[in-house]
Amino acid sequence: MRNRVREQRTQREMSQAELAAALGVSRQTVISIESGRYLPSLPLAFAIARFFGLTVDKMFDPDEEETGT
Amino acid sequence: MMAFIRPRLRKPLGIALAGTVFAGAWALRGGDAWQLSVAMEVTVLVAAITTYVRAGEDSDEGALAGSRADERQKMLSLRSRALGWNFAMIAAFIGITVGVAVQATWSWPFLVILAVTGFAYLLGLSNYGVAEEGTADDTDTGHQAPSPASS
Repeated sequence: MRNRVREQRTQREMSQAELAAALGVSRQTVISIESGRYLPSLPLAFAIARFFGLTVDKMFDPDEEETGT
Repeated sequence: MMAFIRPRLRKPLGIALAGTVFAGAWALRGGDAWQLSVAMEVTVLVAAITTYVRAGEDSDEGALAGSRADERQKMLSLRSRALGWNFAMIAAFIGITVGVAVQATWSWPFLVILAVTGFAYLLGLSNYGVAEEGTADDTDTGHQAPSPASS
């Protein structure tokens, strides 16, 4: 599943640590989500989408495969 | 009670407490066992201090040691514990099997481990929702619902 977390974060010139603090998760978890190694829970997926002002299906695309980091 | 203890201190204190109780048990044996007990207590305190230091690190292990794990880190811990449980079950099964084969008297602890882990698994199924399946919404209850198309 591809996601746009890295793309949205870099657009806002945020560091992974800043995003992690805003979402209440660890920096390692943000890294794992961005690289597609970890699929967040539904509440966390909603929190990420809300944080970037997008819908969950815009943020996470199940039809696209993660191409790696 | 845990809420009153700072998260970073919880695991180190748990290690220190459990280790001290175990070292105390050795001390109660009497004889020369007190030397082992002292060595054990020193080891436990070193382990507790090491855990406290690691709890301050910015890593998955640090978050787990510091009791501040997020959902992914909790899942990692859960999966690791499940793996440990599987290994315990397999080791206990091998222990019983070998014990039976050589007619050993020492195989009963393996049976206890197997029984406890098996019971804990069933308890987990019961606690975490297997019994909450309920009735499906579309189960045939014998009442005929009129079709909107037929009216």
